[in-house]
Amino acid sequence: MNVEEQIKDILARITRVDKSIISRQSTFKEIKADSLDVVQALVAVEETFGIEIPDEDAQKFQNFGDFVSYVESRVPQKEKV
Amino acid sequence: MGGDYAPEEIVKGAVLAAQKDDVEIFLVGTASVLERELAKHKFAANGSSIHIVGASEFIKENESPVDVIRRKPDCSVAVAAKMVKSGEADALFSAGSSGAAAISAIQFIGMLEGVYRPAIVGSLGSFAANTVMVDLGANVDCKPHQFLTFAIAGSVYAKKFLNIADPKIALLSTGSEETKGNEAVREAYSLLKNSGLNFIGNIEGGDILNGKANVIVCDGFVGNVLLKFYESIGGRAQAWTERKLKRYPPIRALAGLLFKRLFPATKISNETEKQSGGILWGIDGVVKIAHGASRAPQIANAIESAKEAVKAGVVESLKSELARLNQGGKL
Repeated sequence: MNVEEQIKDILARITRVDKSIISRQSTFKEIKADSLDVVQALVAVEETFGIEIPDEDAQKFQNFGDFVSYVESRVPQKEKV
Repeated sequence: MGGDYAPEEIVKGAVLAAQKDDVEIFLVGTASVLERELAKHKFAANGSSIHIVGASEFIKENESPVDVIRRKPDCSVAVAAKMVKSGEADALFSAGSSGAAAISAIQFIGMLEGVYRPAIVGSLGSFAANTVMVDLGANVDCKPHQFLTFAIAGSVYAKKFLNIADPKIALLSTGSEETKGNEAVREAYSLLKNSGLNFIGNIEGGDILNGKANVIVCDGFVGNVLLKFYESIGGRAQAWTERKLKRYPPIRALAGLLFKRLFPATKISNETEKQSGGILWGIDGVVKIAHGASRAPQIANAIESAKEAVKAGVVESLKSELARLNQGGKL
């Protein structure tokens, strides 16, 4: 499973929305994710990929696509496949 | 170690609880402060014990409760939640930031299978002794499926604490018809109707106190506004009656006596003095939160009722109800 699918699974599990409604253009508001959902997703993504996402970086995510692109840029190439 | 009167009243309340009952209490917070405070009290152990667990940080009132997770994972309420998760403690009690307690519980203890967020269930007391309402304020914005887990939590509460075998569940709305209410309520109606629970449909505000339903389900915004309005009725009724009878001192004195002896204002419309807050239903452990303004007697009551909740197996009961619905694919 690629990075995008893994993050989609995490976000769908936490927010309890159907993952099919999550696209790269979806904002957290559209996914109905509140601030706790977002923080829980950040922690879960950090644990899954073994990375740290500083708050100042996380605050720049405008939509799901930004989140995925950021994680992809931080995860070693081999894990992206 | 939060609360408006912490640490004095919290420690005093813990000592009171330890004197009353056989209970092991862990005070979590700045160790030196707690040691100093505890040293002010002498208590006969009576099978009880009080321990101090050091925590270097705490969540201040002006901080976001979400900070517990990433910025202050070692704050006192988070440490206490982790003790419940590890089994060192059976229950968590906090009179500090309710949000921080809820978020610590969600993140560090975890939710029961099928539950998105915890809810607060409360009995309506004297006016409607066989009715509970849920959610009373933990979830201001709710997704439709949350109403279903609220109904299950309320139903377990009614069975356990009100001894009602098959509680009647109703959804609070602006009309009895299925089409009434906002979008979330209308969707919730459909989920509840097909849930297999004893759902009797929508009820309106006028039905809250008439016993039509044993479990009234609403979002935490509506529930919290109603709770505070309801809690204010007793005091207002007393003040209004005494004002109206100002010209008739003997009758006024009699009315004052009636309110004092027979219908104390707090008992007319709320029992929060005794209940001292509520349990967060849906967490995989007993978590009790109390008003920040709680004093020692309320703290002691809250500790006692957290112990009762553990003994009554409320989490296990909720877990099995949820599992039953999960099997049918309802959650």
